[in-house]
Amino acid sequence: MTPAERGRALRIAAPLGLGVLFLAAWQALVWAYEIPAYVLPGPLLIGETLWRDGPSLLASLWVTLRITFAALAAAVVLGGALAILFAQSRLLEISLFPYAVVLQVTPIVAIAPLIIIWLKDEVFLSLVVCAWIVAFFPIVANTTLGLNSADRNLVDLFRLYRASRWQTLRYLRVPTALPYFLGGLRISGGLALIGAVVAEFVASTGGSETGLASRIVEAGYRLQIARLFAALLLLALTGIAIFAALSWLTRRLIGHWHESVLPREE
Amino acid sequence: MTADDAQPPDILLASVGKSFRNGVEALAGIDLAVASGTFLSFVGPSGCGKSTLLRIIAGLVPPSMGSVRRGAGDLGFVFQEPTLMPWATVHDNVYLPLRLAGWSRERARPRIAETLAAVELGDFAQAYPRQLSGGMRMRVSIARALVTEPRLLLLDEPFAALDEFTRFKLNEDLLRLWQRRRWTVVFVTHSIFEAVFLSNRVVVMTPRPGRIVADLPIELAYPRDSALRTVPAYTEQCRRVSILLSEAMA
Repeated sequence: MTPAERGRALRIAAPLGLGVLFLAAWQALVWAYEIPAYVLPGPLLIGETLWRDGPSLLASLWVTLRITFAALAAAVVLGGALAILFAQSRLLEISLFPYAVVLQVTPIVAIAPLIIIWLKDEVFLSLVVCAWIVAFFPIVANTTLGLNSADRNLVDLFRLYRASRWQTLRYLRVPTALPYFLGGLRISGGLALIGAVVAEFVASTGGSETGLASRIVEAGYRLQIARLFAALLLLALTGIAIFAALSWLTRRLIGHWHESVLPREE
Repeated sequence: MTADDAQPPDILLASVGKSFRNGVEALAGIDLAVASGTFLSFVGPSGCGKSTLLRIIAGLVPPSMGSVRRGAGDLGFVFQEPTLMPWATVHDNVYLPLRLAGWSRERARPRIAETLAAVELGDFAQAYPRQLSGGMRMRVSIARALVTEPRLLLLDEPFAALDEFTRFKLNEDLLRLWQRRRWTVVFVTHSIFEAVFLSNRVVVMTPRPGRIVADLPIELAYPRDSALRTVPAYTEQCRRVSILLSEAMA
C-alpha cells in the first residue's frame, strides 16, 4: 500500500470504526441498564423500526424533499436573477441588499406562522416559501460577490474589444461567478432542508401529505422514540446526500479549472 | 520608409497630460507621433507613467489634458500578466476577441489555429491555462492580441515577470513575428536591453510628472536575431540609452 492509499483507507476506516464502537457502546448501555425504549431505544431497535416503518417514513421524506427542492430551485432562480440585477446596477444593489439581509437575519420560526396564515389554503406553497427564505440568501450574496470579482484587466480587455454588457456578463462575469455561486448553493442545499423541516414543525400539518418533520413531532407526542430516531436518521442521511450531490455538481462544473477542486500537485 | 513617412501617423499625441483624482500628476506635456510600422519602446523607471500613457493610447484611460488620435484599425493589448480566462482552453481564450466581434466558431477556427502555430502553441489548443508555464501563458496572451490581425499592438511590460531565458526567447519570437507582419508596436519596458533589441525607436521617460526626455532611433538593421545581443553596435546603443536615462534622472 502506498502512503496515499493508506491515507485514503484510514479516512474511511477511522470514522467507520468509531461509529461502530459508539453504536456498540450505546446498545450495551441500553441492555446493561435496561433503559426503556420510550427513553432511549437501542440502535438495534431503531434499525428494526426503520425497516418496519421504512415505506411510510419514506413517503413522508418524499413530501419534505419536494418542499426542499422546490425551495432550492426557487432560491437558485430568484437568487441568481437578483444577483445579476445587482451586478448591472449599483443603485439597485445598495437599495435592495439591506432588505435581503433583513430577510436573512429574521429567524424563520418567527416569520413562518405569518406565512402559513397568509397562505392557509396553499400548505405546500407556504412551506416552500419558508424554506426559500432560509435558502436564498447565500446564493444571492455569493453570486453577487462573484459577479463583481471579474479580473480588472479582463474587464479592460472586454472594453477594448467593445463587448456589449450582455457579452461581458455571459463570457466574463458569469463564468467568474460560477465557483462563488456553487459555494452558495452547497450552503443553501442544507439550509433548504432545514427550512423545510422548521416550516413543517411550525405548521405541523396533519392529513395524508405529511412531511418527515410532522412525523417526528407526532412520534414525540406518542413517545414512539424509536420511530423518532429513525426519522431523524433519514433526515441526516438526506442532508448528507444533498451535500454530496452538490459537491459532485461542483466538481463536474468547475473541476477542470478552479483551484478549490483541483488536485494538489506535490 | 519614405512611403510610410507620407502616411498620417498611427498614433498622434498632442500635449497629453494626466492627473489622478488624488492630485498625483502622472504625465505632463507628452507630444508624440508614431509612424505606421514603427516598433517603439517606452523606457523608464517605475512610476514614470509609461503604463498610464499606454492605457491612454489604448483608450482605457481618458487624458486630463491634450488630445489623442489613433489611426483606424484593430488594436491588440498585452498586459503585464497573461490575463487569461482560467475556465477556458487556450483555443477559447484566443477565440475571445473574434467571438466578441461576432465570428462563429467555424469561421474563427482556421485563424486561431494559424495564430497559435505562429506562437508555437499549436499542440496546446485544448490545454487550460493552469497547465502551461508562465512563458507559454504569455504566448497565449500574445496570440489573443494578434488573432484579430491588429494594426496596432500595445504591450505593457509583458515579459517583466518571466525569467531571463524565457524572456530572451519571447523577445526573439516577438521580433520574428513583427519582422514578418510589421504592425505598429508600442512596447513598455524598464529593460534598456530589451528595448534596444526590439525597437527601431526608443522613447526615454522620467517620473514626477512623467515626461519624455529623449526620443532616439535605434540604427540597427532588421532582420535581427539572437546574434545581435553580442554585436558591439548593440551594446553601444544600449550604453547610449543608459547614459540618457541616468542624465535625465540626475
